[in-house]
Amino acid sequence: MNKMSQEDILTAPLAETAPSSSPAVGMTGPLAAPRPERRGFWWNILSGLRSLLKGMGVTFRYFSRPSTVVTQQYPENRATLKLFDRSRTLLGMIHDENGFHKCTACHFCEKACPNASITVAERPKPATGKPELDYFTWRMDSCTYCNACVIVCPFSVLTMSGTFENSVFDSRLLIYNLTRYAGPTSQVLMKIADPEERKRMIETRGVFSGVPLLRKGGRK
Amino acid sequence: MVNLQTSWEVRTLSQRASEALAGGQLGLTTGYLFAGLAGLAVFLAAMALVLVYAERKIAAHFQCRLGPMRVGWHGILQSVADSLKLLLKEDIVPTDADRFLHVLAPFMSLLAAILVLVMLPMSPALQVADVNIGVLYVTAVSGLGALGILLGGWSSNNKWSLLGAMRAGAQIISYEVSATLSLLVVVLFSGTLQLSKIVQSQADGWWIWRAPGVGLLAFAIYLIASVAEINRTPFDISEGESELTAGFHTEYSGMRFAFFFLAEFINMFVVSALAATLFLGGWMPFHIGGLATFNAAMDLIPPGAWFAAKSAFLIFVIMWFRWTFPRLRIDQLMRLEWKILLPIGFVNLFLAAMAVLFGFYFFPVQ
Ligand code: SF4
Ligand code: SF4
Repeated sequence: MNKMSQEDILTAPLAETAPSSSPAVGMTGPLAAPRPERRGFWWNILSGLRSLLKGMGVTFRYFSRPSTVVTQQYPENRATLKLFDRSRTLLGMIHDENGFHKCTACHFCEKACPNASITVAERPKPATGKPELDYFTWRMDSCTYCNACVIVCPFSVLTMSGTFENSVFDSRLLIYNLTRYAGPTSQVLMKIADPEERKRMIETRGVFSGVPLLRKGGRK
Repeated sequence: MVNLQTSWEVRTLSQRASEALAGGQLGLTTGYLFAGLAGLAVFLAAMALVLVYAERKIAAHFQCRLGPMRVGWHGILQSVADSLKLLLKEDIVPTDADRFLHVLAPFMSLLAAILVLVMLPMSPALQVADVNIGVLYVTAVSGLGALGILLGGWSSNNKWSLLGAMRAGAQIISYEVSATLSLLVVVLFSGTLQLSKIVQSQADGWWIWRAPGVGLLAFAIYLIASVAEINRTPFDISEGESELTAGFHTEYSGMRFAFFFLAEFINMFVVSALAATLFLGGWMPFHIGGLATFNAAMDLIPPGAWFAAKSAFLIFVIMWFRWTFPRLRIDQLMRLEWKILLPIGFVNLFLAAMAVLFGFYFFPVQ
């Protein structure tokens, strides 16, 4: 690009001639900010009035229609509470139809989390050596509900669960486990044909069971 | 100049008191005076409670919210609870503040509002005092409110308070001019400065539409300028919380903050009531000169109700402004006044004088 002749520079498209390290060709000085249109005294007054009236019309429309109210009287309307798609609540994990882990322990969510709130523990499957989910630690106390983990999960395992009433008196109770069971590796499990038998081989886990994995100094 | 109907005779409380005094009934005199004072005090408190509640509810619905809902039915007792809280709060005077002025300032603000309230003709029988220079008195005394703000800002010994106070001072000096110019239009048409006479002069129609065009324009200018005078959004730069924390009342708490707050709401009522009195006929029912039956039907609604309805409507409009418009910068504020409102106000006054000179207005009075 340095060897371009004067002619080439003039004829080539702008983006190509501009070296990425220096400002674009043809741009001198700061960019001009768009200025509001200036016209005569009366035009300004009338257009200003018009836009003010328009604004008042908008607010009056909201005022005169009680149906536009979005406030929810929360503790009273617990039964009919409406949560929106964008609401950020406790992180939840989706399991497959048989209740087994859908999560493949790919660690994407762990890497995406800006606060290191997620720690995924895996164990290798004995035959293939591929990882399998063992324990999923989610630290609600440091989570900012940024939704990044939900977005990155390639298997759509994570979700905002829709529950949010989680006040506790001990901050240790803010460290959650999202796996639902412990037991033999999936390879062993899946060899058993009878689903009832499989269920019997695993041990259910609640949000506080097991030893949570904490980064920095924790078991890893 | 004005055809006074006998039914619209005004008897103010102070007038009754002096009549009683002349008649030697000292007890009745004190009774009237006391009724005036107590009435004003109760009116102030009740008005503030109602207006604060109304403002919060109206603001909420403009913003798709519900507002206070918990204390009482639909939060109707919310302002009672809030005022109790304010009364019980610790009252702090900053160490380096000018103690005397710091304590005095909120009362100055409130005093100005009350002094204007005394003159307001609420109905033919309900007016505390009536002087023949009513309009002049009202414009002069309402300027005192700015003194309270200036004192509060200066005595707090705080940069934000001082800046807010200075802005309030600059603002009131500017907008007082426009407000007065537009009041003069009505004075020209009605030929009197006495508030009750101005109301009576609107028996055939309100000045806002009886004075062709100029009335409406004067009303608009007065509304804008008076909203600026009482420091409400979009002209609330003197307490602009985004840059000045709370402006002139940054250092105030508890009772004295409540007084500033009270003064703000009473001022809102006062300017609405004044605008209603001067441009919308005050307590005068909606009359169209010449239509006797229509006028008689309108007279069925008592004058006090007309006054209340008109003031309430204007208060609603002012609140509507507040919850719709963004705040002006100080330079925009000054430009609006000195380059736009003031020239228009002068031209408007000139046109009004012409209209009066040539008797060019609707339903000319006898
Ligand atoms: S929502 Fe954000 S902060 Fe919370 S666990 Fe997921 S990625 Fe981390
Ligand atoms: S990104 Fe999804 S699949 Fe991967 S570890 Fe996290 S939850 Fe499991």
